[in-house]
Amino acid sequence: MKTIYITLGFVIVALFQLFVPSYMIWEQEDVLLSGKVYKFKTKPIDPSDPFRGKYITLRFDINSFKTKDKVFIYGDKIKVYIKEDDEGFAKVVDVSKKKLNIKADYIVAKVTNTYDNTVTFKLPFDRFYMEESKAYDAEKAYFKVNRNNSKENVYALVYVKNGRSVLADVIIKGMSIKEYVENEHQ
Amino acid sequence: MSSKFNKELQTLIKDKVISPELAQKIEQYYATKDIGKSTKLFTIFGVLGALLIGSGVILMLAHNWDDFTKLTKTILAFTPLLIGQVLTGFSILKKKSSTWKEASGTFLFFAIGACISLISQIYNIPGTLGSFLVTWILLCLPLIYLLRSHAIVLFCIIFSTYYAVEVGYWQYRNSETPWLYFVFMLAVIPYYLQVLKKSISSNMITILNWILPASIFTVLGTFIGHNGHLGFVMYITLFGLLYNIGKLPVFEKLRVFRNGFLVIGSLGSVISLLFFTFRWIWDESSSRFNFDLQGFYVSSALFMLSAITLSFVIWKKGLKKVNLFQVAFILFWGIYFLLFTVEILPVVLINILVFALGVSAIKIGADKFNFKILNYGLLIVSVLIVCRFFDTGMSFVLRGILFVIVGLGFFLTNYMMLKKQQKIKKQLNDLQV
Repeated sequence: MKTIYITLGFVIVALFQLFVPSYMIWEQEDVLLSGKVYKFKTKPIDPSDPFRGKYITLRFDINSFKTKDKVFIYGDKIKVYIKEDDEGFAKVVDVSKKKLNIKADYIVAKVTNTYDNTVTFKLPFDRFYMEESKAYDAEKAYFKVNRNNSKENVYALVYVKNGRSVLADVIIKGMSIKEYVENEHQ
Repeated sequence: MSSKFNKELQTLIKDKVISPELAQKIEQYYATKDIGKSTKLFTIFGVLGALLIGSGVILMLAHNWDDFTKLTKTILAFTPLLIGQVLTGFSILKKKSSTWKEASGTFLFFAIGACISLISQIYNIPGTLGSFLVTWILLCLPLIYLLRSHAIVLFCIIFSTYYAVEVGYWQYRNSETPWLYFVFMLAVIPYYLQVLKKSISSNMITILNWILPASIFTVLGTFIGHNGHLGFVMYITLFGLLYNIGKLPVFEKLRVFRNGFLVIGSLGSVISLLFFTFRWIWDESSSRFNFDLQGFYVSSALFMLSAITLSFVIWKKGLKKVNLFQVAFILFWGIYFLLFTVEILPVVLINILVFALGVSAIKIGADKFNFKILNYGLLIVSVLIVCRFFDTGMSFVLRGILFVIVGLGFFLTNYMMLKKQQKIKKQLNDLQV
């Protein structure tokens, strides 16, 4: 094959290699700039991923909904419709496999269980990446705060737009979890 | 070239064993041969260096520096990718050596992984490890053909295997089948065939001859579906396919240790068939006709592929050259699917099949004067007897006698073949004299 064709092929591949991560950024930035922000009560724990480093896994209070609909099975992708409650936290108003005609934002979640007219699901934004040394401390900080039974002190800030959702930060006692862990260190 | 070698050449000229011209030719031959060797070594070190740097970059970025702003982190994510692309583009455009292409390609491979993972970190993108690996492999597959890079082929095979294992085995309560693995392998195989055509005796072919069957063998389990027993059928068929691939005319002149298809196919067939020499596995598989469709389709597809490969080998080499290992999977299918209602007969037949495989290996070994194959056959027979030691009601005396016979068999066959070999060597020497 002539060098010019190989070079041309490489340029196309290289552009794709640049396009994929750039598109990932654009998708997230779009939600962060024009999406609506919600607060989700949560509990952080500390696992890690071999390639992408340390993160904390978030276990949300919102993880199930009572429904008479029995069409859900494990692994299904469902739309979880949310609104803000009186305290400003997100609450589920409905779940459905199809798009509903109601005035509320929705998040695409994965069904993990169904029992007794209740569907349990996993929200997609359950990973919050942190600096290597801080992930475990973040988990410890949560337990320290939670000891005083003040669960509302820990929540995730999530931007939602057209079913897409971006986790922007995790807040402990009104502070970003990164700052909170740093303050604890000092 | 060593000075000792030069000194030897001078001595040979001095003693008039060789002419000075011939000495010069020899010197030149070894000088050019050494150049090839050092380039190869340089390529290996180049790839190793790029591999270490690439992995180092991933690890450093995985630290997830909190002090950097989002923009700095994003620039940092793209920097290695751009450096890798520039280096690779340069080596293509300037028609650089394979060392350049291999090293820059390896670095680019890891830079792509680092870039996607860092973007995932910055924006807390929750995607699974499986989907991350898929994106990574898809973005790197074209590089195999653009750079003609051995290293990238190896990485693609290894990471495809990792993807399939992650999605198919390691996901909790997940019944996903990693179908994309097929796509990745289909993308890699044309490259393998090209290298095979160009340089069959290269080390790269040896590596690929082992890594390809090993990868397929590792991943096949993820395609089984919900019927475990069909998994055995699938694996026995796969080993039949691998063995028949190893028997293709193209591999004829390859030494056994360079032919991973043949070795894995043979060992796999014997080991998995040995399971079916036990009665309990047949008793347990009384429900074996509750097939799930996926497993059945995969098994049938494998059977068809194996049968086509076998037919091709017969067409090229003739029916007489076919050995029992090549048709063992067909015999197993016959016994498994046709005699499932009969109680003891299938167990007896499989025992006979494994015994016959052992004997056929002994015969192949004796015909080729190959002690390794001969002893492999003896080992198959011995293991079969040891297995029967556990689940039959034979008396201790009978078992003892059987062991003594096999032991004697080991000793006598080896001794006889050694004698025969010595006799032939002696005859050849006499002829030469």
